[in-house]
Amino acid sequence: MSQSSGPWEPSTAPVASSVAAPDDPARPGRARRRGRTARITAAVLAVLLVAALVAVGYLWRTTSAWEDHASRWESEAHGYAEEVASLQAELDGVTAELVSAREQLDTATARITDLADEKAQLGDENVASQQYLDYQRRVSEAAGVVATALGQCTAAQFQLIGYLEDRDAYDPADLERFATDVEALCAEANDANTQLQQELAQ
Amino acid sequence: MSRPARRPAGLAAVLLTAVVTSCAEVPDMPPPVPEDIVPSVAAPTLSAEGSDQLSPDGFDAVQRMAVRIRNVGCSSLSTGSGFAVDEHTLITNRHVVADSDSLQVSTYDGRDLDVSAASTAALADLAVVRTEDPLPSYPRIADDDPEQGDDVTVVGYPAGGRLTVTAGRVIGTTRDPLHENLGEVLVTDAPVEPGSSGSAALDDDGEVIGVVYAKTTDGRSLLVPQSTLREMLDDSASFTELVPC
Repeated sequence: MSQSSGPWEPSTAPVASSVAAPDDPARPGRARRRGRTARITAAVLAVLLVAALVAVGYLWRTTSAWEDHASRWESEAHGYAEEVASLQAELDGVTAELVSAREQLDTATARITDLADEKAQLGDENVASQQYLDYQRRVSEAAGVVATALGQCTAAQFQLIGYLEDRDAYDPADLERFATDVEALCAEANDANTQLQQELAQ
Repeated sequence: MSRPARRPAGLAAVLLTAVVTSCAEVPDMPPPVPEDIVPSVAAPTLSAEGSDQLSPDGFDAVQRMAVRIRNVGCSSLSTGSGFAVDEHTLITNRHVVADSDSLQVSTYDGRDLDVSAASTAALADLAVVRTEDPLPSYPRIADDDPEQGDDVTVVGYPAGGRLTVTAGRVIGTTRDPLHENLGEVLVTDAPVEPGSSGSAALDDDGEVIGVVYAKTTDGRSLLVPQSTLREMLDDSASFTELVPC
C-alpha cells in the first residue's frame, strides 16, 4: 500500500468509512448526517413502538372481547342444549303418548267393528227367530184348521152313521148326497192333514 | 454518498408496510351476541301417516263407505255387502236384494239406516238402494277400468261377518261365466266369500274399479267393471224398481 499519493486519497481497495483522518473537512457533515439518521431511526422506532403498543393494546382488547364473546356463545349454547334436551324429552313423551293413543284408537276401532258385527249377528238371529216364530204360527194355524176339518169330518161321519142306522126314515137320494158331501169334506181334511205333515217333515 | 441515510428509511418503509399489512389481518371486535338465535321456521309436525283418510272416529274412508245389507225374504234370510256412491245411494248386487220382503242396511259402526227404495238392473248383476239417512262416506268411481296386474282392495262383509278389507291384483278379464252381465267382467285374486257380493273393489287411489258379484271355483273373484257400473248409472231406464216378495 502506498501512502504517497495524498493523505485522504483512497487506496486501491476501499476502506471503511470509519478510517478517516482527524482533520477531514467532510467529517462534520457526516457526523451530522449520522446524527440525523440516528434521530430519524429513533423517531421511526418510537413511532413503531407506539404503533406496536397501540396494536398490542387493540389486540388485547380484541382478544378479551372475543373471549367474552365466545364465553357468552358457550353460555347460550349450553342454554339451548338444555332446552333441546328438555324438548327432546318432551317430544319423546309426546311420541310415546301418540303411539299409545294410536294403539288405543286401533283397539277402539277394532272393538267398534266387533260390536257392529255382534249387533249384526244378533239382528240376523232376531230376524231368523222372527221368521221361525212366523213359521210356527202359520203351522199352528194350519194345524188348527186341519184339526177342525178332521173334527168336522168325524162329526159328519157320525151323523151319517146315525142316518144310516135309521135308513128307512130318510130319502135314499138325500142320504147319498149327504154321504158324498161327508166324503168330500173328509177328503179335504185328509188333504190338509197330509199337506201339514209334509210341511212339518221338511 | 446517501446509502447510510436510505437504510433507516427503508427499514421504516418495510416496518410500515408490515404494520399496514398486519393491520389488515387484525381481527375486528366481535359483534354483540344476539338475544335470540332461534330461527323462525315452522314447528315440526309429528308424522301423520294416513291421517288424511281418517275420520274423527279413527276409521278410514274405505271402511266408512261399506255397508252390510240384510235381505229379509218372505221365508229366507241372507246378507250381502254394498258401498255408497253418494250421500243417499248405495250400490250392491241384484242377487243380494232379490226376493226380499225388506232390506236392512247397517254401517261400519253398527248404525242402522232406513231404506227408502231399491231397484235392480236387468243387464248386469247390479242394484241401487236409496237410504233415508245419510251414508257416512262415499268414494269416487274411477274413470278407467283397471289393467292387468293393478292392485285391488275389496272391502265388505264376507259370510255376513265383520267388516273386512282384503287385497289382491287384477288378473284379467273374461266373459261372465254366470251370464248375469253383458260384456266382459274383471277377474282378481282378491279373496272373497259368500256375503262379499256387492263389495266395492278399489284401486290404490281409493276409487271404485268394480263391484264384486261372484267367486270362481278356483278362489278368484269376479267383478262388474266400473265401466258397466257407470253405463248403468247413467241410464236410469236400466234399473227397475224392486217389488217385495
